[in-house]
Amino acid sequence: MKDFRELETEIKKASDKFTNIESINEFRIKFLGKKGIISLEMKELASLSGDERKQHAEKLNKIKDTVLEIIASKTEELNSEELEKKLNSETLDITLSTSKSYGTIHPISQVIEEVITIFGDLDFFVAEGPEVETDYNNFTALNTSEHHPARQMHDTFYVETETDGMPNVLRTHTSPVQIRSMLKQKPPIRLIAPGKTFRCDNDQTHSPMFHQVEGLVIDQESNMSHLKGCLEIFLKTFFETDKLNMRFRPSHFPFTEPSAEVDIGYTKKGNQLIIGEGEDWLEILGCGMVHPNVLENVNINSNEYQGYAFGMGIERLAMLKYGISDLRTFFDSDLRWNKHYGFSPLNIPSIIGDLS
Amino acid sequence: MRFSYSWLTEHLKTNAHFEEIEKKLTSIGLEVEDIQDTGKAYQDFIVGQVLEEKKHPNADKLKLCKVDIGKEKVDVVCGAPNVEKGMKVVYAPVGSTIPVNQMKIKAVKIRGVESYGMMCSEYELGISNEHDGIIRLEEKETIGRSFSEIYGLNDIVIEIGITPNRQDCLGVKGIARDLASAGMGELLERKISREKGSFKSPIKIEIQDNKICSAFAGRYFRNVKNTESPEWLKNKLKSIGLRPISALVDITNFVMYDENRPLHVYDADKIDGKIIVRSANDGESFLALDEKDYHLKNGMCVIADEKKVLGLGGIMGGESTGCSTETKNVLLESALFDEINTAKTGRNLSILSDARFRFERGIDPNSTLKGIDLATQLILEICGGECSEVELAGNIKENKNEVSTSSSYISRRLGFEVSDKELISILSSLGIETSQTGDVIKCLIPSWRQDIHGEADISEEVIRIKGYENIPTSNIRLKSKINKNILNYAQKKLMKARHFIASIEYDELVTFSFTDSKNCEVFGDINKLKIVNPISEDLDILRPNLLPNLLQAIKKNKNRNFDSFSIFEIGSQYRSTSPEDQLNVACGIKSGIKTEKSWKNIQTEFDIYDVKQDLTSLIDYLMPGNKKISVSNDCPSWYHPGRSGSIKINNSLIAGYFGELHPRVASQFKIKNKINIFELYLDELPNTEKKNTNKPVLNLSDFQIVTRDFAFVIDKKVKSEEIVTSAFKVDKELIRNVEIFDLFEDDSLGKDKKSIAIKVTLQSNEKTLAENDISEISSKIIESVEKSTSGTVRS
Repeated sequence: MKDFRELETEIKKASDKFTNIESINEFRIKFLGKKGIISLEMKELASLSGDERKQHAEKLNKIKDTVLEIIASKTEELNSEELEKKLNSETLDITLSTSKSYGTIHPISQVIEEVITIFGDLDFFVAEGPEVETDYNNFTALNTSEHHPARQMHDTFYVETETDGMPNVLRTHTSPVQIRSMLKQKPPIRLIAPGKTFRCDNDQTHSPMFHQVEGLVIDQESNMSHLKGCLEIFLKTFFETDKLNMRFRPSHFPFTEPSAEVDIGYTKKGNQLIIGEGEDWLEILGCGMVHPNVLENVNINSNEYQGYAFGMGIERLAMLKYGISDLRTFFDSDLRWNKHYGFSPLNIPSIIGDLS
Repeated sequence: MRFSYSWLTEHLKTNAHFEEIEKKLTSIGLEVEDIQDTGKAYQDFIVGQVLEEKKHPNADKLKLCKVDIGKEKVDVVCGAPNVEKGMKVVYAPVGSTIPVNQMKIKAVKIRGVESYGMMCSEYELGISNEHDGIIRLEEKETIGRSFSEIYGLNDIVIEIGITPNRQDCLGVKGIARDLASAGMGELLERKISREKGSFKSPIKIEIQDNKICSAFAGRYFRNVKNTESPEWLKNKLKSIGLRPISALVDITNFVMYDENRPLHVYDADKIDGKIIVRSANDGESFLALDEKDYHLKNGMCVIADEKKVLGLGGIMGGESTGCSTETKNVLLESALFDEINTAKTGRNLSILSDARFRFERGIDPNSTLKGIDLATQLILEICGGECSEVELAGNIKENKNEVSTSSSYISRRLGFEVSDKELISILSSLGIETSQTGDVIKCLIPSWRQDIHGEADISEEVIRIKGYENIPTSNIRLKSKINKNILNYAQKKLMKARHFIASIEYDELVTFSFTDSKNCEVFGDINKLKIVNPISEDLDILRPNLLPNLLQAIKKNKNRNFDSFSIFEIGSQYRSTSPEDQLNVACGIKSGIKTEKSWKNIQTEFDIYDVKQDLTSLIDYLMPGNKKISVSNDCPSWYHPGRSGSIKINNSLIAGYFGELHPRVASQFKIKNKINIFELYLDELPNTEKKNTNKPVLNLSDFQIVTRDFAFVIDKKVKSEEIVTSAFKVDKELIRNVEIFDLFEDDSLGKDKKSIAIKVTLQSNEKTLAENDISEISSKIIESVEKSTSGTVRS
């Protein structure tokens, strides 16, 4: 009986000499081609009989499997060698780069959005009013009569149009939005009104245009303690701090009674302002209980309804939170400043994500 | 309002430390703005005497002095022109700090000569602006005595901010009274003797208009000597920054700052006949004590005699009856002028004075005669002479304001329980008399509190005295929402637009709502936009458009070496200065280098297609879903007429523009670069509030996609968009997309011709398209395009 040992040795020998895909091909033809050694042997099986045929067939099939296996594994080996070689010649200098830039959101927009986010979470809607206002809405309806000394502190800009015989003004605060909103809507009211305001004053610490946010709550029960609670939660959330020293002290605004100014504690570490802690006080906002005269001016019964209002400077909030030292730089349009202090457009203030 | 601690303690008996008082002032609403411990600042300065004075060997203007300072004699080099032998001076020793500039005195060589210390001027000590020479102290001063003692500076000066409602604290006594109410001690009543007067005043007083002046008390003094004030009085005034003038003037100033009672003294010998308080006549004028001529108008309150105007009531006296050292006989005035009329007059004439400041805030009527008494006592003591009886014209209002309240009202407003007992006790500490009937507490407001009119005012008084720190903190979260939306659609639109524009590389700017009218005629009617009192000439109108300020920003940044600009602003622009003529606009500019030349890219510049794409994708973002955007050539005049377009959405109003800035406008703004602009009128975008959260149904086909390219030669003036639309309309179902991929312009095509190549994408929902389907639709496309553009297909 043929033991095919010679054939196996020959296969072994031939399989050691592969250098490329062609030599594998030759190898395949030599053994498995139509006239290949194994194919010829297979043909010869027909002439055998019985057990011998069975045994030869078994053996030959095994050898054929081995040859196929060799072809597969050697092909794989050569392919990956070739790929390796190709990859080695394909390197790029990864230290080179191109750039993709986004634009920036102005710090004033960022802070306004932060403020809206915090108060929105407390169910304050965003109200608006025009920047040119009537004298009545800006002053008189807010319990500031024509000759009230508080008017002189406002350095009002006047324009040439008039309403009811009085020249219109560029609003000196966002408070007239209170009047517009209360005339439109009955209590309960919870609103904030961010926006531009104007005063005829221009120096190191004053800009003729600046931004404020107004807050107003009118219902049957809101009182000074709610005002305190409201501002505490706002300031803590805004300055992203759990510690916050807050001081209320009496002040005067014609449209609130009692009126208060609010200071927050701070310390200075080097050039850094740390908000919340410390013995020094920074004035941050004005507030108070809405004056009954203001409610009566908008036809709300001041015996039934009461509430509070507050107003603060957006630039001041931005300066304290983001360490911007000069008020006037906000409107200077120095692109170096905008690119440095601006925010990513993908940064949308959130209560569940990041505020800033 | 400035006052010294020692002055305060003349009215307040207290055991409290200064720091406690300082804190209390702020906590009762008298905010401490500044504290100067002058005792400390001046502790090193002492009296010296110049023993010798000779010329500096190396400098013409300097002198060498030997100065006796008590314990030793020192050499001092001095440059003052008035230094002389024997003079008593203020000496600053080595180691002391000069208040005005915080310079520390060291032993130094000045032009080769040693100098130990310095002799000071009032300016250097921060006392006045006098810097022509060093201080000459009186002969009698003891060498070595502390300078601060002589000037009465051994004190603490406190500056507090007084809010417009607290007229009662515009005098030291009022501040003491408020501190006493807040538990800081006991208010001391000054002993004032009440002189009856030994004769009738020869000057009669007549009030012609009691609306502008309700009462006028006058007292005549004869044979007074208007000397220099005694040291205690001068020092008091100096301590709060006032310049002593003469005894009579100083006394009226003292009474004003002490009792909050403005007074005035007239040289009685210069008054012709009686005093008449009346409304001014139009055209009348008078020379005031500030040496300015004022032209008066009817309605202003003047104090006049029978011939001339003597003063503006409650605002300022006049030159003609001013007191000098020669003055012998005077008339003292204490009056009640109307608040509103005083405010109006002061504002119309732009006069700021201490008297106006007080009268327009309201004066305690009861101070009218008290002021006369206190001033009389001081005049007789300092200036001698005799006084007349008091001549009173008009009426001093006696009845007090009444306000009714209850502890439940106060508690409801403040947010914590205040009992009747506590309420009454706080009110009585403030001098408010109360009487209770059932729950109602009736309050009688003392005459010095002109600001308390209603219950709300009472609530402020209660919490002010109790302390704002005692207000509890309450939760404000609601059980159920009261607002359906936090932001409305228009507000969301603005916010979305801002983030989108910034995400396509624009930097957001916030510029003034004002601008310079000079370059703005092209943008709007500048005559409708004028500000009456602009902050400066170049910010004299409300901006008719966002562009002018953005163009200025480009100019400025160009000078800072920027060569690529992508900036935008979202804000309001104005059609007029009426409140309703304000529009919300987003305006973006891309100009200069788009891609920098690099190892990978060639340098490219922004053009109008960049801003067009930004504008249309912005509209797409703000208004997702189907809409028809059409572009036409009708742009406003600040655009290059051939390189700009307006955008209409769904054939309604124009929503925005894009294009190149008109070269003429660019040169007005001195800009040489091409400026590519987009403007989006955000209010014009239809407010399509979301009605349904579902997206439109999506139909997907799995059959093969085929593309075919076509090129057409058309007239240059035909818009390429025409090709796209006419190709599309051939078969809306099979044609999925039509896109222009090439533009070729060359004379070889014929005069004024261009070639546009499009790629058409075809796909069927039912089958794989066969060659004959494709060629059938291709010929239809060619036919349709050729027909609508009068062009020819290129083969």
